[in-house]
Amino acid sequence: MTGTVSPPKAPAPLPSGSRLPDIPGPLETLRIAWRRLRRMATALQLLFALAAASVVATVIPQEPVTAQSVEQWRSGVTGPGAGVARVLDELGLFDVFGSWWFAALTVGLVVSLTGCLLPRWRAFVRVARRPPAAGRNLERLSASTVLSCPLEPEQALRAAERVLGRRRFRRRRVGSQVAAERGHWREGGSLVFHTAFYLLLLGAVIGKVFGFAGSISLAEGGAFADTRIAYDAAQPGREFDLGDHRGFVARLDDFDVSYFPDFTPRDFRSTVTISEDGQRVRTADIRVNHPLRYRGMTLYQIGFGMAPHVVVRAGDQVLLDERVLLAPGGGSNLWAGTAKVKVRDPDSQIALDLALATDARLGDDGQPVLGPDPRPRNPVLVSSLYFGDLGLERPVPAADFDRGDGPVETAMLRPGKTAKLAQGSLTVEFRDLGYWSGLQVTHAPGRSILLAGAALLLVGLIPSLYSYRRRIWVEATPDGAGSRVTVAGVALQRKATFTDEFDAVVSALRDAVGSRPPPRPEAGSQPYSQPEPAPSPERSP
Amino acid sequence: MPNESLAQLSNTLFSVALITYIAAMVGYFFRLGFTRFTSQGVVAGTAAGRRVGLLATGVAVAGWLVHLASVTTRGVAAGRVPWANMYEYSSILALGAVAVGLVVVQRRLGYGHLVGFVLAAAVLSMTSGLLLFTEAGPVVPALNSYWIKIHTSAMMTASSVVIVGFVATALSLVKDTAERRVAARSGESYVGSTVGAAQVGAAAPAGAAPDDRTEGRPDGYEADAGVDIGAGDGEWASPLAQREALSPVLFPLVPAVAVTVFVLAVWRAPGAAIVAGSVAALLGTAAWYAVPFLPPAAKLDNLAYRTIAFGFPIWTFAIMAGAIWAEEAWGRYWGWDPKETGSFFTWVLYASYLHARSTHGWRGRRAAWVAVVAFVALLVTYYVVNLWIVGLHSYAGDI
Repeated sequence: MTGTVSPPKAPAPLPSGSRLPDIPGPLETLRIAWRRLRRMATALQLLFALAAASVVATVIPQEPVTAQSVEQWRSGVTGPGAGVARVLDELGLFDVFGSWWFAALTVGLVVSLTGCLLPRWRAFVRVARRPPAAGRNLERLSASTVLSCPLEPEQALRAAERVLGRRRFRRRRVGSQVAAERGHWREGGSLVFHTAFYLLLLGAVIGKVFGFAGSISLAEGGAFADTRIAYDAAQPGREFDLGDHRGFVARLDDFDVSYFPDFTPRDFRSTVTISEDGQRVRTADIRVNHPLRYRGMTLYQIGFGMAPHVVVRAGDQVLLDERVLLAPGGGSNLWAGTAKVKVRDPDSQIALDLALATDARLGDDGQPVLGPDPRPRNPVLVSSLYFGDLGLERPVPAADFDRGDGPVETAMLRPGKTAKLAQGSLTVEFRDLGYWSGLQVTHAPGRSILLAGAALLLVGLIPSLYSYRRRIWVEATPDGAGSRVTVAGVALQRKATFTDEFDAVVSALRDAVGSRPPPRPEAGSQPYSQPEPAPSPERSP
Repeated sequence: MPNESLAQLSNTLFSVALITYIAAMVGYFFRLGFTRFTSQGVVAGTAAGRRVGLLATGVAVAGWLVHLASVTTRGVAAGRVPWANMYEYSSILALGAVAVGLVVVQRRLGYGHLVGFVLAAAVLSMTSGLLLFTEAGPVVPALNSYWIKIHTSAMMTASSVVIVGFVATALSLVKDTAERRVAARSGESYVGSTVGAAQVGAAAPAGAAPDDRTEGRPDGYEADAGVDIGAGDGEWASPLAQREALSPVLFPLVPAVAVTVFVLAVWRAPGAAIVAGSVAALLGTAAWYAVPFLPPAAKLDNLAYRTIAFGFPIWTFAIMAGAIWAEEAWGRYWGWDPKETGSFFTWVLYASYLHARSTHGWRGRRAAWVAVVAFVALLVTYYVVNLWIVGLHSYAGDI
């Protein structure tokens, strides 16, 4: 908020005509840049740029939030086309908040903020330390009034100090005066508010660098150990090492989902037991909005699905015996997934496409009729068997394999039933039906700093907006047996409401010093402290 | 569990309140039409205007009570706080606006002849709520937290407050234009009462309050709550000249186009767009008619600043509460979800407004325009992000 930048002046005026413009040296350039960064107008422009960036991020899909839409934009399926998408990619517009120019913008704002704040803090400390200054020519101030009081000047001043103290004025005795002021926290609050952003930034950076986020899907009865390889997907911060994992074991004892009568979900609940070195430490429920916090790691409920227990046998040999995690298959009553059997011979690979309907009653014609109930009251598992060279050895996503000419055979199973497939050489058993639960495990170390920063921000914001600086002087001089008390005040902000505040101080003072209210039309008195209550006819037309 | 008959009752009461508000609005506009300037420069209704105005006040109060009953039964029927989706939010917003209109605008400030506009805003909000109607029902698990009470009600309070701020800003820009044009026509050297005054006036010292607008004004300028024409008998036609200084075509046209485009964009309903556009045109004409009756621009501008300065910390708190909630529900406190981005964007713009008010070269009309843009951002965050853009906040019509 310093003034305009003035370019360095040449020592003597050069003759007009061909003349090179003043080119500032490197140091001078730096100084000019620093001055410009410190200006409020620059901060405003940076703020607008930040706002513009967030508009862009709202309109264009962002990779960290909606990766799928970004893929669709890149391939040109949706959005403005693949060519435009390439340009957007080049500019980092698919990850605005992770792009270099957004970082540059943030750095610019921080530098500008620092440039603004340092001199302001210095000035604030200076002003806050300086005691209230004595006032001169009190009668000439616009808010000023004179009281006659029966007390001696010393007593009157002491009373004034009490009155002003109750109103949280800082007071100082200067000769026959009490000088008082309040409202420093307008500037102080503003400084605290702006300084809190450093804390927020620090907390965010700490969270990014030292934090960790991983997700894992567990079938009921399943367990995982908190190690890097256990997670299905992990986003460790740069400084979150393998050794920083806690190594505890979390077991999903039970998962439960309840529904409203219209089949919208009411609650998801994972019951998890945590153990360390084989010792059970804790059993707790994890629900949406009720995460489990343990040794700096937080476990969140983020997803769920059906997990049928499927056993595949060839004769007596068990080829597969596991709970298969099914993903939503369209609607809350349908689930789908894949089970692959690891066989050495690439020509006799086995895979199953599984589809589960939770509400499949038998119709009159013997065919199942699908109902809308998402609770597995009448589940049926449709398993389609694939056999042959399915390309399972290739690194492909879990749900993918070479489906070739379609399934060899399809069987419909109820829980506890077994079907013979492929002329009886294979049996598929649907042993029972359970759930799987998706958990997110997060380590967010900067949280308390962020919370402190947010609290400071609010604490600073309120006085910076609602506190106003006022100065009041009370002077008492001997006047016969009593004293003549002059009260005067100045408002540095929001002068409109100061009239009322000043009147309140004066009337409190009048009570405290036992002064009689002055006769109404007191000559030489203050028009300010007693405004006309209503427009009077005498008002100049 | 949703109680069917109570929910039905709530809907009926909502319709009754809406119709009552429309009737009261007509009454208030009638009162405005019969408001005159007296030689003292204050407004006074004719006998007929006063009587209809009194009736309109009664009708509005009755409508408000019915509306309150509707919101309460809705909450009881759904067995939760009645602000979990956009329909309920629009309803509560209107409830708050009418309360502010009756208590603050009419009783405290004495601008009873302008309450018709507040009622119009309430009717618009309730109509937009009807377009987003959701049956009374429970919320999804992610919303089932005590944070819904904290975060959402803080957001609602802040939005409601800054809506008042926006209306005051927009009116101050209009009034300022009128005041400037009238002054320019009469060839006076203009000192003082406009929004631009601070820009023209001497540079305020650094750190001075941005709302030091009242300085340098003639004594008693703000003495009464009525319309101040700032001059005496000889010139008391000048407030009406303010109306003539403004285009009677643009006033209905701009809101009509804006509202039509907005409704088309958000709901894609041409019929509703035409109706809403016509209503906006009528309101624009009414606003044009009411320009001379408005408070001075400086007063409106000051009101705008103070409401926004009041709403801003609440908005800040609401974002923070949202971050804490997001940490609990989604496992991260900030993820640049479209709604988060939108509310951050709105926050940055309102912060810019507050900064602009105390920045040399930005005070006055420029700062006012920043506030207008910030409000548009709020609308976009609220409607467009909810209904259009896929993110964690999109529960199809939920907040």
